[in-house]
Amino acid sequence: MASATVIEISGLSKTYGSGSRQTAALRNLNLSVQQGEIFGYLGPNGAGKTTTIRMLLDLIRPSNGSASIFGMDIRDHSVEIHRRVGFLPGELSLWEGRTGQQIIHYVASVRGDTKGITKQADEFAKRLQLDTSKRVRDLSSGNKRKLGLVLAMMHSPDLLILDEPTNGLDPLVQQTFHEMMDEFRDKGKTVFLSSHILSEVQAICDRAGILRDGDLKAVESIEKLMNVEFHWVDVQFRDAVPEGLARQLQGSSEISDVDINGSRVKMRLTGDFDPLLRMLSDGYVKDLRVEEPTLEDIFLAYYSDGREAR
Amino acid sequence: MSGIVFANTLRTSWKQVLYWGLGLGVLGFYIGFIASSSDIIQGYADLLASMPPALLQAFGASSVEVLRSSEGWIVSVFVSEAAIFLSVFAVMAGMNITANDEQSGVMDVVMSLPISRSSYLLERWIGYAAIGLGILLVCAAITLFSLVLFGVDAQMDLVFISILNLYPGTLLVMTVTGLLALIARRRALAIGLSAVFVVVSYVFNLIGGAASGAMADLMQGLSFFSYTKGEQIVLGNYDPANALLLLLVVLAGFALSVRMFVSRDIGV
Repeated sequence: MASATVIEISGLSKTYGSGSRQTAALRNLNLSVQQGEIFGYLGPNGAGKTTTIRMLLDLIRPSNGSASIFGMDIRDHSVEIHRRVGFLPGELSLWEGRTGQQIIHYVASVRGDTKGITKQADEFAKRLQLDTSKRVRDLSSGNKRKLGLVLAMMHSPDLLILDEPTNGLDPLVQQTFHEMMDEFRDKGKTVFLSSHILSEVQAICDRAGILRDGDLKAVESIEKLMNVEFHWVDVQFRDAVPEGLARQLQGSSEISDVDINGSRVKMRLTGDFDPLLRMLSDGYVKDLRVEEPTLEDIFLAYYSDGREAR
Repeated sequence: MSGIVFANTLRTSWKQVLYWGLGLGVLGFYIGFIASSSDIIQGYADLLASMPPALLQAFGASSVEVLRSSEGWIVSVFVSEAAIFLSVFAVMAGMNITANDEQSGVMDVVMSLPISRSSYLLERWIGYAAIGLGILLVCAAITLFSLVLFGVDAQMDLVFISILNLYPGTLLVMTVTGLLALIARRRALAIGLSAVFVVVSYVFNLIGGAASGAMADLMQGLSFFSYTKGEQIVLGNYDPANALLLLLVVLAGFALSVRMFVSRDIGV
């Protein structure tokens, strides 16, 4: 059975300012996210991730284009959509003078089910090791983040929209968060997660979109992104690097980023191994290591002008 | 409209009723104490009688005779001062409706909840309007208590109505501030503009009251202070249309605020 589309974005653009001071924060974004997937939205600061999220939540209005969540237009049905969405902002601000419990109770009452939601919130708080009896002003930034996560998840939303969710969380809590995301997915719920932490996206997301300067550069499954056709090759010779090897490597169209250090050669290889192995045969290869590119390598490749990963 | 935002507004801001109500009440208490001395009232009236009529008008009274009665003196002196203090509260309340939460970023969390922008604005506005009313009631209660305590021979109902008559003006300043905050987007600018609105209104009322002629009338007409004069209540020539007019402006301002808040970006 085909899964339903939860988020459908069509030609979404956002421009700030006017006249000569006009800046495009997002350009002609087309994207869809399916039910039950964890979608990673990658990009450095200022790429347009938060702008996209704020438009999806109807906090800011698109300059062009449209988007729907659960088949409902984000502007016309924002209240119905918000009922089924949990949101964690990138820069979370809460009422400083109020305790976590008070805020949970308030948000739960706006959501219309105080008893059930607060019970769920208590469970999440326990798992994240959060003391909800403290006032927000007394919480560390990591604990504020945990409270934000509890607020976003406590009503079991069908869609979670999380902007840099693990910012400031310690590694143990990050692990708990990853487990929670897996549980969400297992329940058929959807997560739209923006991050600049590539390892996190690699660890928990099914698909990722890479955003650069307001343009969506690529959308791929994590599996496919990891399967790009290049490898890092690290060759250790027993003796000196054979004469003429450097010239041969640099002359090859499939080899780049050659780094020779003593008897060691590192390079980036695109394509088959055979031509390289033939070049190396003039020397005695003591050790040869081949590394799969990390998502960060792929990410950097997308961001390097004129050298996009395939 | 669920009333949850309204209830939360009251829960988080009810102390303002206490602080402002007590603050103004202490002033009313003090005025009540002074009003217990007819010598002081008559002396004050005599002093003003020796001044040009224009200056008397500027002090908020159209005739010395009003000042010679206890309720006239209380209303002219206390209520006109209270109106200025309440304007300060109203500016703060107007900023609290949306601007402060928007500036701090809390609005992002609130507006991601299942509540429409118009409902949110309405509930916040009603919440602060209720707090304003609470302040006036606490202030009136303390003032009337002082009149009883010090045995002031004054018409209590007129004093009470005169204090309540400050409500439309308070709502107006609150609504104008809320609207300016939505338009200006910057907190400091909105506060500055609201302060200008209040000060200019006050100066227009002062100069318009002291001078005569078409220009002076226009200045008074443009000042919201001139629509809330308690002296008219004491004299028995109060026109309820004044309060109604202010409330109509409040309604128009609120409708414009809703339109602004619904159509604009939040937190930009």
